[in-house]
Amino acid sequence: MKSIWRAAREELRALLGDSQVRSILLVSLVIYALIYPLPYRAEVLRDVPVVLVDLDRTPTSADLARRVDASEAIAISGDAPDMAQATRLVQDRAAYGVLLIPAGFERDLLRGRQSPVAIYADASYFLMYQRVMQGAAVPIRQMGAEVEAGRLMASGAALGVARAQVTPATQVEVPLFNPAAGYATYVLPAAFVLILQQTILMGLALTTTRRRHGMDHPVWLVLGRMAAWVAIYAVLLPIYLIVLPAVYGLPNLGHVGDVLAIGLPFVLAAGLLAQCVAAVFRSDAVVQIVLLALGLPFFFLSGFAWPVEAIPPVLNALAQIVPSTPAIDGLVRVSQMGARLPDVAMNLWHLWALTAGFGLVAVLVETFRARPSAGPGDPQATGTPATRGAQSVSPRQTPASFPDLRSETRPPRADQADSG
Amino acid sequence: MGRLMAREFALLLRNPVLLGLVVLLPVLMIALLTGIFRAGIPSGMAVAVVDLDRSDLSRGITRMLDAAPEVQVTHQALSLSEARALIVSGAVRGAVWLPQGLERDAMRGNQPEIVTFYDNQHMSAGSMVARGARGAIDTALAGLRLSVRQDKGQSPAQAQSALKPIPLQAHALFNPAFDYVHFLLAALVPTVLQILAASGTAYAISLDFGPGRDPRQLVRLAGGLLPAMLGKILPYSVLFLLILGLSDVALYGWLDVPLRGSLPLMAAGAVLFVLAAQLIGTLAFVTTRNIGTAASIIAVITAPAFGYMGLGFPREAMSPVAQAWGALIPGTWYVQLRIDQSLRATPVEISIWPVLWLALITLGLAVLVLTQLARLHRTKEVAP
Repeated sequence: MKSIWRAAREELRALLGDSQVRSILLVSLVIYALIYPLPYRAEVLRDVPVVLVDLDRTPTSADLARRVDASEAIAISGDAPDMAQATRLVQDRAAYGVLLIPAGFERDLLRGRQSPVAIYADASYFLMYQRVMQGAAVPIRQMGAEVEAGRLMASGAALGVARAQVTPATQVEVPLFNPAAGYATYVLPAAFVLILQQTILMGLALTTTRRRHGMDHPVWLVLGRMAAWVAIYAVLLPIYLIVLPAVYGLPNLGHVGDVLAIGLPFVLAAGLLAQCVAAVFRSDAVVQIVLLALGLPFFFLSGFAWPVEAIPPVLNALAQIVPSTPAIDGLVRVSQMGARLPDVAMNLWHLWALTAGFGLVAVLVETFRARPSAGPGDPQATGTPATRGAQSVSPRQTPASFPDLRSETRPPRADQADSG
Repeated sequence: MGRLMAREFALLLRNPVLLGLVVLLPVLMIALLTGIFRAGIPSGMAVAVVDLDRSDLSRGITRMLDAAPEVQVTHQALSLSEARALIVSGAVRGAVWLPQGLERDAMRGNQPEIVTFYDNQHMSAGSMVARGARGAIDTALAGLRLSVRQDKGQSPAQAQSALKPIPLQAHALFNPAFDYVHFLLAALVPTVLQILAASGTAYAISLDFGPGRDPRQLVRLAGGLLPAMLGKILPYSVLFLLILGLSDVALYGWLDVPLRGSLPLMAAGAVLFVLAAQLIGTLAFVTTRNIGTAASIIAVITAPAFGYMGLGFPREAMSPVAQAWGALIPGTWYVQLRIDQSLRATPVEISIWPVLWLALITLGLAVLVLTQLARLHRTKEVAP
């Protein structure tokens, strides 16, 4: 017990005493919390500009254009005489769609024929495409229904019969959990979990690369460190997952207890993974760069933004090793969708399994480190202090003309630690 | 300077860590991202059907739902609360509610409501469910309307055209295959490369200019400050451009992403983009002279850069502050150029602007780096 306590105190001192680790854990919280959400503050796209190419120029075509303009999603931003000029406006990003009403539109309608119109939406931006299609489809469909009902009644049908034939049933769409389709509401809850994981990984892996090796039993050492992380993240995790979402006005259906119940194994799994990452890459700079590069793939692998149904099975299996995969899914379901713990039991077991797995590896790594003579992966077994450390260039390999390159880049305390 | 570049390449070959960071890591990341999006447009989202009518019409709607590529009916729920629980736990992405008396009310003209519930927290999957369900239900209802008209003696062709007096012809501008992969990979590859070009370059420079290293050694060797810096940076520019080029060959060659623009413009943009990203790393390092702090600065600038590029949420809809911050990041302009020149076939006179912005950013960063270096150099000479 005393060993655990000692290890916990040492880890706390290492984490909070190192200015760089401190800046990753705390300052990055502030910066990331400001920079990441900034693009999404506007939440919903309204009145996406669409160009009108009206080749008919009749009251009916003007009516159609007005109906489309009145939709919430899009607005007619201007006219163009032909498609070529309209396309140019879209290429210039002055508009994101073209509504084309062909000549003879009114005449065909009056004669009882089909009279098509065309919408061209900018498909190089997915969200814009969706909004333009949505904005055009609803009013045009409604106008079509009115025309059809009018024709039926003109031919003598009763109102009820006409209604049954034009629209036998109405379709209602109910978007759950994010009813306004807000982009911030969509992406931020997941992004905050990922940022939290990346800062845990970077901060704790960095400390690990710089740490002196303790004298106690590896199991107590690892347990003690875990206690230290829990102490720190008991403060930081609620900030990321409860305070920040509230500051950004995201809907929250979650129970604090449930969030913390998932948060605990998530922090532990990420912290233990950080030990493994540090054992593989060893140099603090390399750890940081690798983790930096992995952020985006981790996000897409989690199956949140890019549906898990579309991720190849091999990669999806690989993704299950990363704590953010079950954590993002579980935490989003709990805090945004009102799931309770039994609903996300799989995610919870998944995180605890990762904790156990990475914990085992972390203890093994610690065991090998504690015994300098053991283990092929142990840097101490392979060289003198000058060649040790992933980023140093060994003297043997350095040309004699660049003597200054030989000097050791690691801080001297790393050497003391290794021999300790 | 040539000597310095040769020395840098030799250093690279001997240093497995450096080689891993600037070659292996970017290639792996690009391969990983391509792998994730390789399968293309997602399909087959699980939905539940709450069929309280159990009529020909409701069964027809269920069949149509199953036939739609976007969705597949995996559960039959007995009540709305059961369906909701399935959505919350993630077993399905949405549910279609078919009320009791649906068929009867539809025939009488009472216009009963068919309700599609979908999980819009997972917006990409949810909107797919909504689209698939809308289409399937429309098709099923059109079948009903068609049979009514045919019962009254209309020919199938007549009836068909009478159903939709104003058909809407939907066209996708610039991206006719409507492949999401194009669009995401076109932006993700530069995003990852921006991170790695900045941090990789900072790391490489830290090997010569870090603490305990006398940068004057390198400067003397190269015969000046500017050649020293160029000799240090340019070998990596070549490498990153090579990686970018190869990933583009893969993207435009194997994956059949259309390339409908000016190659010279794309190439100019690529060179400026890589240089600018490297200069971000260089500036971060020469200002802090500590690779750890430099990496943190690079992280703050390049890690959130994807959101500012406006692929998910468009740039035009962002706040002015967000637009301005995004405009300072080279990736924003380079991605815009790539989309313009690959998917949109934008005329050169419009597409020249992102290239000019890139040039401006590169120039600005270069001036900052040189100023900082000159200052470092002076202080070294004054205080030996």
